[in-house]
Amino acid sequence: MNRTQTRRAGTVIAALALFVAACSGDDDDTSADSAPASADTETTATTGDSAADTAGDPADTAATDTTGDTVAEGDTGAGSSDNLTLWVYDDGRIEILNELGAEFEEEFGVGVTVEAVDLAELRNQMLLGVEGNGPDLAIIPHDNLGALVENGAVAPADIGDKVSEYLPNAIDGFMYGGELMGVPLAVENIGFFYNTDLVDAAPTTWAEVKDVGGALVAGGTAESAIGLPDLTYNTYPLYTSFGGYIFGRGTDGSFTADDIGMTNDGMVEAMTYIKSLADEGLIPENIDWEASHVLFETGRQPFILTGPWALNRFRDAGVPYAIAPFPAAEAGGEPGYPFLGVQGLIINANSDQLLLAQAFATEKIATEDSMRRIFEAEARPSAWQSVFELADDTDTQGFNSAGVDAQPMPSIPAMGFVWDAWVNAGTLTITGELSPADALEQAVEQIQTQIAES
Amino acid sequence: MLTKDQRVPTSLYVRTALITVAFAVGALWLVRALLLDGLVMLASVVSAVTIFLLLVYLRRRYSAMRWMAIGVVFAALFGVYPILFNIYIGFTNMGNGHLFSKEQSIERLESEQYLPEGSSTFEWKGYQSADGYAIVLIDADPPRFVSESGADETVELDPNGEPPATIDDYRVMAPNQVLPIIDSLADLDFGDPDAPVRIQSFRAAAASQQRYRYDADLDAVIDLSNGVPHQAKEGSWVGPDGGELVPGFISVVGADNFDRFLSNDNLRTPLLRVVVWNFAFAFFSVALSFLVGLGVSMLFDDLPGRRIIRALLIVPYPIPVLVSVLIWRSMLNPDLGTIGEFLAAIFGSSPQFFLDPMWTRIALIVVNIYLSYPYFYVVTSGALRVIPEEQYDAAEVDGAGPWQRFRYITFPQLTVIVMPLLIASFSFNFNNFNLVYIFNNGNPPMADTIIPVGQTDILISFIYKLAFVTSGASDYGLGAAISVALFVVVGSITWFQIRATRALEAR
Repeated sequence: MNRTQTRRAGTVIAALALFVAACSGDDDDTSADSAPASADTETTATTGDSAADTAGDPADTAATDTTGDTVAEGDTGAGSSDNLTLWVYDDGRIEILNELGAEFEEEFGVGVTVEAVDLAELRNQMLLGVEGNGPDLAIIPHDNLGALVENGAVAPADIGDKVSEYLPNAIDGFMYGGELMGVPLAVENIGFFYNTDLVDAAPTTWAEVKDVGGALVAGGTAESAIGLPDLTYNTYPLYTSFGGYIFGRGTDGSFTADDIGMTNDGMVEAMTYIKSLADEGLIPENIDWEASHVLFETGRQPFILTGPWALNRFRDAGVPYAIAPFPAAEAGGEPGYPFLGVQGLIINANSDQLLLAQAFATEKIATEDSMRRIFEAEARPSAWQSVFELADDTDTQGFNSAGVDAQPMPSIPAMGFVWDAWVNAGTLTITGELSPADALEQAVEQIQTQIAES
Repeated sequence: MLTKDQRVPTSLYVRTALITVAFAVGALWLVRALLLDGLVMLASVVSAVTIFLLLVYLRRRYSAMRWMAIGVVFAALFGVYPILFNIYIGFTNMGNGHLFSKEQSIERLESEQYLPEGSSTFEWKGYQSADGYAIVLIDADPPRFVSESGADETVELDPNGEPPATIDDYRVMAPNQVLPIIDSLADLDFGDPDAPVRIQSFRAAAASQQRYRYDADLDAVIDLSNGVPHQAKEGSWVGPDGGELVPGFISVVGADNFDRFLSNDNLRTPLLRVVVWNFAFAFFSVALSFLVGLGVSMLFDDLPGRRIIRALLIVPYPIPVLVSVLIWRSMLNPDLGTIGEFLAAIFGSSPQFFLDPMWTRIALIVVNIYLSYPYFYVVTSGALRVIPEEQYDAAEVDGAGPWQRFRYITFPQLTVIVMPLLIASFSFNFNNFNLVYIFNNGNPPMADTIIPVGQTDILISFIYKLAFVTSGASDYGLGAAISVALFVVVGSITWFQIRATRALEAR
């Protein structure tokens, strides 16, 4: 064949291919891939031919399958499904998840593809619903749950009786609107770190913190009495020990934006305490995450409120530390409690393999064996009670004792308005532009305006 | 399609015809798919592009455009269309809870099922036969066998409590056969067509029913469980008690977004301060960077080792802005930073670079000078050579001193050459979101505002906070509206500046 003829043939083939692609069914027909020969219940205005087209193939394979033996290992029946996609936002657990996915594939013939995806991208793709390239399953920190559920991106996870095997707080973190919207995997909370060289025992009240820290600063041994990496998440135990809180619970047990506790006496007292620390020169006025950690790990600061993420840097720096429960507002009082962060597995409601994804989550992941192996792969406190108790290293036990009363961060959408307003209230208090009470009042006003506008 | 008075070889004709038809069919299919999803704007742009391409490539008269055609198409699709789309979004309520088109929202709602009162869920096992599928409801009372084809019979469990392995033509399926197809099984109705049983999950099946149905006459979605209609209103399905269904859809809300931020008193006070600071920031950044760049090029250009000096001085330019700003943040920390400690050593205490509004602003401009002066150094370095040497010699002869030479010869001619770049740099710095956001997120905060705003916030970061941090996170409609307004502002400034430049050049 000469060149012209080759070109002609190629053009014809390309045109035919385009024809076939153009006529063989719509993009929108999401569940048409392995539909058995039966009524397609899609309600979009697809023309009759697309349903007939896709119904043709599976019916054939179903017929041929049943002529053979019913029980055949790995026989996937009418049309096979793609692997489930599972996105995680941090890579610590990818290996163990791949292992569990491989076992699931051996048992049921459908595997799981695990990918590490940045959290913001993960959220965006899930929020875009069917338009996005979202995964079937995702592991997220629970505070992202609210926005996703409100946009219809998350399907409920029904684990039946296994609910009682989990830590109640972990289940609480993934409850939304009274339904369990995910399978918890691990929990985390901050702890009260103290330098064992500078201080003999952890202080039990915040006044003691001030005294001990103040003495060290006055004596020149320390530059700062206590490290507050920020004025919100990490300082929460301070606020709660005085009786402060952000959102209260409604009648159905979930957090509600109708009960904002940010102007109550406890919050004001705590804010006044922070201001007094700054005024007396016991903490730097400029609240900086990095600076507070640097001061602790160089031994120039006896205390810091931070979480497991700081362990590596403290160990590398060699600073002798221990983790203790948080101090209370007064002697004999209740210690402050931190926010609890729960990471768990959620199911994408827009997935076209929804039931399969749910099955993977509830049958494979939500079992003691899998939870134990996940814990062994990456030692984060497990959400499964019996595995949680397996944690035997001092640091984890320290965090666990500090977080025994930890409350999950509210995941309602209104929580997103809180952070900026809260930080600003803290900053304005420290610089002295507003009194603690006024600053918190303004913060609540801002939060309520934003709730009203949204 | 081809003019008649042309003798075209048959092969060419056939090939062209095939490609054209294939292209047209492909485009038609794409437009149809877009329209079905309710994406009208994109569909119209794609149609316009298709017609344009067909005209250009098939009509002799427009053949001159052929070389430009692809470029124009890309510019239209990736340049013009996003701008038009952005303007369109400003008139809609796209955002949290309103991300789908109406058709997609209805589709989602109509696929929802619910369990009517009094019904319960059952454990099930799957069966298949040549005719289709069936399930046995194991813990129903009595255990039932329901099939796709409408059969509904009682079965007896064997002594272990398991259903029989075969029932009529149906054979039981093992879990590893059921799971891979479970989602397609979930679409099937088993048993009596009037009260079908559907699979809910791996463990449960129940007689669930469709929860919502769209009524086109009422333009409402009816909740079939209680008959309550939810009216389509501005992108939400609103029931009589005000409750809204999830998900909503995108709908045009007219000038609502513009109204929200233009007439909202709460926004106006901070807005004014933000605008003033924005102009000051852009102006001083550009002016001072230009002067520093000019000074550096005048000072160092005549020295030996010019190349090495130039290489060192350009260093801030290729380093990513993110890295530079973060390093400056650390250096400026009043307690632990290099510069902070240095100033404290000299003056006793360091200014509060992140808490005091004035010092934060000064710090921002200094960092911006650091980031921008290499650009002006390079530009003025070249521009200086353009000025003829004779003018300087003539001025010396006339007795002009260095300052006078600079003021009457160098500066005027330099500005004429560099003015377009200064204008462009002004526009860039007017919207310099990166620097402001990374440095201190616009903080320190303002003390009397109804929404969180910072003292160093510029318009664009203010908009970001309005549209994406407050207001339900991701209020694309509001963000788009404000960005349109911002475009008008920056566009007008730029237009006036260019006009002023023309007047300058004419002189």
